[in-house]
Amino acid sequence: MTAILTRRRFVQLSVASVALFSAGGRAATWFAPSLTYPSIKVGNVAKIEVGKPAYFNYPDNRSQAVLVKLGREALGGVGKDRDLVAFSASCTHMGCGVQYKGGRFVCPCHQSMFDPAKNGQVYQGLASEWLPQIPLRVEPNGDVIATAVEGLIWGRVKNV
Amino acid sequence: MALFERRDHLPLPPKGAKTYNTVCQYCNVGCGYKVYVWPVGEEGGPEKDQNAFGADFTNPQPPLVGLNYTETMHSVVQGRDGREYHVAIVPAQDSPINRGDYSIRGGTNALTTFSPTRGTQDRLRYPLLRLGDQFQAVTWQEALTLMGRVIKGIRDRDGNDDNLTVKCYDHGGSGQGFEDNYGAGKLFFDALSVRHIAIHNRPAYNSEVWGSRERGVHELNYDVSDARLADTVVLWGANPYETATVFYVEHILPNLKGATLGEKKAAFANGEPAEPGYLIVIDPRKTSSLTAAEVYAKDRVLHLAPRLGTDYILANAMARVVWERGYYDPDYLKARTDMTLFEDYKKKSLKLGTPYDAFMDEAETITGVPRAQIEQAAEWMAKPKGGGQKRRTLTIYEKGIIWNMKNYDQVAAVVQLAVLTHNIGRPGTGCGRQGGHQEGYVRPPAPTPGSIFNGGPPVNVDKLLTSGKGKFYWVIATDPYLSTPNSQFFRKRIHERTQKLTEALGRAGEPGTVQAWADKILQALYEDPDALFMVVQDIYMTDTARDAHLILPAAAWGEANDTSINCNSRLLRLYEKFTDPPGEAKPDWEIFKWVGMRLAELYRADGRREEAAKFEFGKDWKTDEDVFLAGSQEFKDNAVSEADEATLEAENYKGVTYGFLKEVGQQGIRTPVRKDPATGKLVGTLRRYTHRFGSSDGKFKWYGTDDWEGYPPEVDKYLKGEASERYPFWVTTGRAQTIWQTAYHDRNLPEKTLALPLPYVEVNPEDARRLGLSGGDLVEVYNEEGNGTFMVYVTDAVQPGMLFLVMYHWRGTSNSLTSGYTDPKTTIPWYKGTRAALRKVAGALPSLHQTASTLQQNRFE
Repeated sequence: MTAILTRRRFVQLSVASVALFSAGGRAATWFAPSLTYPSIKVGNVAKIEVGKPAYFNYPDNRSQAVLVKLGREALGGVGKDRDLVAFSASCTHMGCGVQYKGGRFVCPCHQSMFDPAKNGQVYQGLASEWLPQIPLRVEPNGDVIATAVEGLIWGRVKNV
Repeated sequence: MALFERRDHLPLPPKGAKTYNTVCQYCNVGCGYKVYVWPVGEEGGPEKDQNAFGADFTNPQPPLVGLNYTETMHSVVQGRDGREYHVAIVPAQDSPINRGDYSIRGGTNALTTFSPTRGTQDRLRYPLLRLGDQFQAVTWQEALTLMGRVIKGIRDRDGNDDNLTVKCYDHGGSGQGFEDNYGAGKLFFDALSVRHIAIHNRPAYNSEVWGSRERGVHELNYDVSDARLADTVVLWGANPYETATVFYVEHILPNLKGATLGEKKAAFANGEPAEPGYLIVIDPRKTSSLTAAEVYAKDRVLHLAPRLGTDYILANAMARVVWERGYYDPDYLKARTDMTLFEDYKKKSLKLGTPYDAFMDEAETITGVPRAQIEQAAEWMAKPKGGGQKRRTLTIYEKGIIWNMKNYDQVAAVVQLAVLTHNIGRPGTGCGRQGGHQEGYVRPPAPTPGSIFNGGPPVNVDKLLTSGKGKFYWVIATDPYLSTPNSQFFRKRIHERTQKLTEALGRAGEPGTVQAWADKILQALYEDPDALFMVVQDIYMTDTARDAHLILPAAAWGEANDTSINCNSRLLRLYEKFTDPPGEAKPDWEIFKWVGMRLAELYRADGRREEAAKFEFGKDWKTDEDVFLAGSQEFKDNAVSEADEATLEAENYKGVTYGFLKEVGQQGIRTPVRKDPATGKLVGTLRRYTHRFGSSDGKFKWYGTDDWEGYPPEVDKYLKGEASERYPFWVTTGRAQTIWQTAYHDRNLPEKTLALPLPYVEVNPEDARRLGLSGGDLVEVYNEEGNGTFMVYVTDAVQPGMLFLVMYHWRGTSNSLTSGYTDPKTTIPWYKGTRAALRKVAGALPSLHQTASTLQQNRFE
């Protein structure tokens, strides 16, 4: 299910872009998603099993993201049970890859833990920012599409 | 569908951005940070040589070793020149403390900067006076005149300062360092003589560790490197994963994982065995510090869960095991400790008159800790290693010991166990506080007594005020409505007393001039002895401030230069000013200076020149460094040899200047600082008490602890008859990683408020099942002292029959339920033990439940 980003895919827009550059002496705000993100297929609802995370590269091949069907309703969840969510897999603390275990994401480096049903909330640990959620769209054929990243991916100053 | 505004693009500081060194404003660990400030409209490029970080962002940073620059590490502030500036505050990679790491607290430092468009817009910007029962703006000129006239009026009438009561911090960090503490000390102890003063959270002017200091051991005696070298780390009533997070993950955990073996081999004696560290957690709860360690070293982690209040009995029992098995060095004891006093310790603490088996049976009965566990813990602490080498154990204790029943004996018992086993003054050893916040104490001598053994105990100022005494109450950078013990009673009484003055001031119309205001306040205060005038000096409108008459705006972290030491290394560093205080806010030392200067003017106008001169202590203080240098004059001459470091005050920094601190930057210098007699250079002290202890003759002063006497009446009342059924739960309290102190900044951050919208109570799964509770339910927890509405977390962190309440939440403080008990030897409260009932409330607040996670916080596997 890993999808490697190509330049062609990059052009498939899902979110309108807003001002990208600050101008004059005013502080520009870049509320996410403020950039142009690729729309890519990350799975199909028919094939996704509860509790089995699927990792994919997003928004490009330099960062991992993770798709999981929680088996409980989630904020931003899609699918008929509203339990299908995706997040950046880079811990917002120091960038290690988070693991989906026992219904939550745990970082193996310093044990930060994130609640996937509550918008990637840090409910324990060192991370001072929540895990960026990836808004999903379900196509009529059941394809699940990643559309943007709501939050800064650790290690970057600009997601795309 | 983010629950709050997120970012996917942060600006990089351009080359040429202003850069500053600082230290986190929050916990005891004192992580180093770098601050970058540059005008909005400018931006650095992603190449290494295009930005002030000197970091390559053309590709994502590498995990763990890359630069941390996250959404919470950037903000925009308004400069006094009317321009907007970007501020980036990132963890310092050259800090020996955090090595580039950071926690959920420090990671948000940038968001605490003042801005008219973020939550910090609530910062106090100018003085406020309760005029017509509404807070209205006044100038500093008028506010200072009112302060001066009321203070002087009370002194003139009374002939002493006993009706002047003060609640003030005495520490560093959070924007208050040596400078502010010295300003407070000069005003309250030299110019005034305030005996009725209490320290931030607590009700008296006291040390939390007299039980250690009176033994000759200052509580900050080890270095972070000792946590890397220790054979065994003991966490006694200390939960550093939550409250000293980076110390735990950067220094303690690596030791348990075996990642510091190379450092051990280099530091240990030739042939001395070195292996991955052991951990003993002594705590009634399965804390996250315990369960996180179990992920890596399950068979090298031991948990002892004593009954509340019984830790000193447990410490003495471990010491008795040490004695019986000969895990001590008689030569060391003879050379370095007071053997006359040791007899008292043997008699009262080790109870050598009681046979071992009988003694251990009794200890097991009182503490609830199985004898086998007590013996195993003693072995892990002190059993000599292969080749007869002494084991190296670092004991870190904190509020579980300090805010326990019988504060003095608890602290003394833990320190004595460490000294008995020579676990102090050697690499990998030490016995000290974890610490809560950073430290920065330098003041003239206080007119208050010491422990019961040194003229005390000190006056309980809370009880003095609630009993109707005192006329003037000045609350500085602390929020006793949330933080003082038995706070529900305190809040209601202070409200009642301040309200009496407010009503009296309104009778026959409120005055229109400052002079008339001061006169009417004084008249009312002496007509109704229960009336109280309250001044709050803080950075925000605190809970306590709602009943104040006058509010003074103070500067916060980063808005003035200041200096502090951390707790785990006594590392002194300069916290550089990088932004201006909002509006007319001033650093605390400057407020104390100006109150003093106004009093001096008033005394001069009276022709009392001598009295006036006392209040001009700050007339030559032009900069923060002037105050820092003036403070250093309080310390002893520090031209002493390394062997005599124990004769110096723990925070002695004589000879250090801001210039020196700028030069050493994040490396800092460890106090006590010595001026080396051989070279004349300033040198720090890595760890203390290698050569002698800090008593007059250099010997450790043993103390025979009390016998077990049961619980004090304030709690014992809940254990008798019907009350034991009405209030069936033991209650303990503590902190969570997510929020700092009263959450004065955190309550503005959506990351924190959505996660912890209400205070929470931990309930064991067995109790939850029995009571039909599940995570997110709302309950009322109550007893005869107070009430609170808490959100339920179901977790095995607490044992069945015990509740844990998170402290100081703005929507309900656990301290409402704590009793007014204090240790008769020290006046330190028992914040961590009482009894209560719990009931599920009818209905629910689904919007809170929808956004707050209730997943189990101590489950990492």
